[in-house]
Amino acid sequence: MSRLVKKSPSLCTDLPLDNTDICNRLHLLRQLLRSCIGPTGRLKQVHNNIGGHVITTSTSSVLLPAISSSQPFINLIKTSILNHVSRFSDCGLFAAILCLSLIEQAKQSGLRGNVATSVNKHLLGLCTSYLQQEDCGCKVKLDFCSSQSLITLARSIISSKPACVLTEREALHISKLAVQAFLLTVPCNSPGIVSLGKIVTVSVEGHSVLNSAVFPGLLVDMPDVFCLNKVENLHSNPMRMVLFSTSLAGDLSDLGGIIEVHPGVDTDSQILDQLLKLGKQVVKDDVKLFICQKVIHPVLQQYLRSHGIIVIERLGITLMEPLTQLTGAQPVATLHTTIPAKAYGKVRDLSIKQFESKIMLHLQPPGDSAICTMILCHRNETMLSELKVVCQKTEHVLRLTLREPSALLGGGCTETHLAAYVRHKSMDKVTETVSVLGCSQTEYLRGVEGFCRSLESVAAALEHDSGNSLMDLTHAHHWSHPADVMEERMEDSSSVCGCGLVESSTNQKWTYLNTKYPQFSPAPLFRVPTVQPRVLDSFTAKLNALQVAVETANLALDVRYVIQDMN
Amino acid sequence: MLGTTITGINQRQHVGLQKLSALAGITYSSLGPNKKYKFILDETSGESALVCSCFRIFENLELTCAVGQLVYETIQAHQKVYHTGSGCLLFLAGAWSRAALECLQTGISVAHIISAMSEGIDICLDVCRKCSISTEGLDVEQSESCTVTLPGLQLSKQPLVEASQASSHLQGTTTVGHRTLNRSEQRRVKLSRYFYEAKSENVSTEPQPNKPQLPDMTRIAEGLSHGCADAMNLVVKASRIQSKNNPQDNGCSTFDVSKVVTCVLPGLPEEQTCVLPGCVVLVSAEQASVAHHLREQHLKVALINGDLSDTYRHLGFKRPTGIQCVSDLSDRLNSSNEEEWIEKVMKLLLNLEVNMILVTGLVGEKVIQRCCRHQILVVEKVKASVLRAFANATAAVPVTYATQLSKHCVGTGVDVAIWRDLSSHKSKPSTTVNISTVKNSTLVTVVLTSCVHAKLQALEDQFWSCAYRLHHMLKDKVLLPGAGVTEMLCIHHLQKEADHRVQHHRERNGDAVQQTKAGTAVNPYRHVVLHLMADGLIDYISTVMVNTGKYSKVRARTAVSQQLQDYNESLGITARFSPLFLEGEQEDSGVSSSMKSSEAPAVKIYDNLSVKQEAWRKALDLVLLVLQTDAEVITGIDQKSDGTQDYLTLL
Repeated sequence: MSRLVKKSPSLCTDLPLDNTDICNRLHLLRQLLRSCIGPTGRLKQVHNNIGGHVITTSTSSVLLPAISSSQPFINLIKTSILNHVSRFSDCGLFAAILCLSLIEQAKQSGLRGNVATSVNKHLLGLCTSYLQQEDCGCKVKLDFCSSQSLITLARSIISSKPACVLTEREALHISKLAVQAFLLTVPCNSPGIVSLGKIVTVSVEGHSVLNSAVFPGLLVDMPDVFCLNKVENLHSNPMRMVLFSTSLAGDLSDLGGIIEVHPGVDTDSQILDQLLKLGKQVVKDDVKLFICQKVIHPVLQQYLRSHGIIVIERLGITLMEPLTQLTGAQPVATLHTTIPAKAYGKVRDLSIKQFESKIMLHLQPPGDSAICTMILCHRNETMLSELKVVCQKTEHVLRLTLREPSALLGGGCTETHLAAYVRHKSMDKVTETVSVLGCSQTEYLRGVEGFCRSLESVAAALEHDSGNSLMDLTHAHHWSHPADVMEERMEDSSSVCGCGLVESSTNQKWTYLNTKYPQFSPAPLFRVPTVQPRVLDSFTAKLNALQVAVETANLALDVRYVIQDMN
Repeated sequence: MLGTTITGINQRQHVGLQKLSALAGITYSSLGPNKKYKFILDETSGESALVCSCFRIFENLELTCAVGQLVYETIQAHQKVYHTGSGCLLFLAGAWSRAALECLQTGISVAHIISAMSEGIDICLDVCRKCSISTEGLDVEQSESCTVTLPGLQLSKQPLVEASQASSHLQGTTTVGHRTLNRSEQRRVKLSRYFYEAKSENVSTEPQPNKPQLPDMTRIAEGLSHGCADAMNLVVKASRIQSKNNPQDNGCSTFDVSKVVTCVLPGLPEEQTCVLPGCVVLVSAEQASVAHHLREQHLKVALINGDLSDTYRHLGFKRPTGIQCVSDLSDRLNSSNEEEWIEKVMKLLLNLEVNMILVTGLVGEKVIQRCCRHQILVVEKVKASVLRAFANATAAVPVTYATQLSKHCVGTGVDVAIWRDLSSHKSKPSTTVNISTVKNSTLVTVVLTSCVHAKLQALEDQFWSCAYRLHHMLKDKVLLPGAGVTEMLCIHHLQKEADHRVQHHRERNGDAVQQTKAGTAVNPYRHVVLHLMADGLIDYISTVMVNTGKYSKVRARTAVSQQLQDYNESLGITARFSPLFLEGEQEDSGVSSSMKSSEAPAVKIYDNLSVKQEAWRKALDLVLLVLQTDAEVITGIDQKSDGTQDYLTLL
């Protein structure tokens, strides 16, 4: 008889956000993420407890998946941020810090749960409608006539991740490449529905970042040098190619179940016969390039090569889609029928590219195609993997600009500007708002204060070297002030604001962030065309991040009980 | 439930940087030309390893901390490409992490440290680029100086007088043929170097070659030996063999490191270490007799990329799992599967008249026996690079399965010779066989021997680091002045730049209006950081000097600062740093005995440009990564058991 183990009762926590342990953990998470944000953010070494591979990062999309907790709040926030990041790539840390700040501020203000959430919701509405306005003071239109603002946007993202360890020059080089690659994925003259191409990233370790490059078309690995001899005498006219998605290794693994065979039957040689039949057809059909996603039987390879065909095996799943787009080939998934003529694709201008030890075959599309390959080089694996993540993020953000060609001022200026705007705007029609929200005026004001402080705290988080964060009282832009510079020399220590649009002048007034200041309407900037913002953030990503942060915080504030199964 | 913990790293007492500095300390004694061995003991298993290089130390340490992992990954990546310079990399990572720590302690912000250190490394790399010497220019310079300093010529001064005296004596006695004798006298003076060298046997054992390039290559190699003169000697010999077999080589500049293999033979005295053209492998006695039979013939060769057995399948082949045999007579048939395969393969091999098979994988005992019976030599575990070399030289096509072999896959023109019989051991493969191709053979084997088994690894490492130093020299086409000269120049430039910036900064502060529009705030601590970086390099030089055994730590530092001071004072004139650890180096560099006996001017010591630049860059990358890290996130912690440690914070 088996023994019964008594089930332990579930644990129910009433008002979980009043629990100090839970608050401490949320605070810790905030500290952890706060220290990561921005170009001077601190890195985290992520590894397991048995000495596994170490990842050094400050990117939310890498860091957050490593965090697991028994605390449902942490998992809730983590999941919603990761969901945002998977859709928009950028502003993950912004969303997380804002969300955690909102929770903390709401707790500190002592507001009733539903008051805090309804005020937050109201203010979110204020922010989003302001950001959507044409005359929004912290938004800039992106000019597609020049690549300048795109490069600025790309550079802001790339230089916000210090684990890439890039010099100014290297950061600029990568930003230009990212924009170049992005532009290559936009098809030139295809009528009707435009579908964007793809950037395939290949990383090469042990080289200077400045060796990174972008090529139109695809570069695929050629690990076997023996097959190189024939490539040189290929002409530039389009040649036929075939692409297999099924394994051509000559094994039976793709079939399921049990097969009964007679001992005299040699299954291997029968499959090989089938493969060679395939080979014969391909030779007959004048195919010049034979690519397989998986393994190709050596005998088939030898047969094909002896007929002057270039053979590439183990292409990998990630390259399949771009390759079909590039060549127009349809991947063949079986070896038991003849290959239909329409499955063949075309390529042009085969050539060999070499990056030190890496030898690659460069495939060009027969016509217009929006596929390109980005070779990323960096000196070591740690920095290279972060660079790869950042470049993919940049690509995504640049794509988002096609839908909404705007960007927000970076360097914390959007946050301080929004906070000042909300402070000012929320004073309009206070009585009406209060009655709609169903709270007292003081409660409302406390709610507004909490919301604005949360926004400002994200801007302040950009400063990591115990410097001070300030805001000017005209345009409400963000300024940082190194700790080691004396008070009176403020003017020359930070001559421009975070985004680089406002220059310091003698009659300017500043206030430290998170201190009381008289509310004012942030003045719009008279834009001098020669002064371009130095730091830009993605408009779409930040807008969504703002919504995710407020909604997640509101959800967390709404939680009354946490019930945990203790078995 | 598994959770995540976070370990904070205190800012002022940066634990990560301290760890990095401590790890670097392990390798102090393996820096410079005089390396010391270390024992690494495993207390649990009682095993130990004898290590000599920084890379091997880390390979045996199995560090589990995050910084240790990062260091090991960096060194591994460096070693994989450069095979040398890991010790320098780690030392500087340690020295500069101490510099960063000192900055943090004085309250300099991380951002300022990073910007100044990045500037510092740019200064250093720039100095390296500027002071690098083209190897082509080196050839000219060297060959000029050769005529002055080559030992043969110097030594010939004495006999030269005798010779002229002798000829004048002749002149006096015989009037006939006066002119011819005079002419011969002139000629004799011109050629005296060769003339007298051939005579004085004890001076130089090797006749001096005619081409001026040869001694240069030797001299450069000598300068790159960094205390491993014996290993570098082997490299030079390998290069000579390759040059001789390379029809395009007009000097002696061929060195293809991918065509060099090592064959390690324990139990033989170290004097028997040698370099041979071709590929030397160990085979069993049975195969040795086949080799004996095949000697002095032009053999046909087949190349197999994989195992030579009936059960072997190519990489990526998945063995069927759900196959059932339906038969009454299965047992009888099954047993003959292998037999059948061998029969088939042997028939094919004999048909193609193959005499030799080179296999990258393993070969079954039965197959070897059958091949021996048919006088076919099978060599297993051949390196892929060797296979490629044979494919290129014999036009053989490597195949995966023996059944793939056809006429055009078989190459021709391979020689086999028994190099040595070492059959004192019992069952082990005991005869070394040398396989080489008749044409286009650039394959060279370096046979490394030692009576002390534990030393072989270090000997092999030393050989490869020398080989790659030569390889990088030929690839870079430039060299750096070694023996600390480059480092001294960098120190000088760092210090100069630091002082310059201080002045510049003061000027700026006096005039606040001069603020830049670009917003690049002045880094007020640049000079402090640059000075500390220079100190790191001083530390490096003096440690290497101490390791030579000629200096105490204090004396080394004084010598360095003295030189720096001298250099600063005599700036503008053609001031040069003199090599600092030459004294220690010279003792080791017994590359050519003639050099020593003649008291020729000291050997010039060189460093590789790309190796040095890369090692420095990587060292700083490590420091910057660790410096910017403020927390460790450890995943997969069991919250019930591990969560109690108080330095960990559970999330």
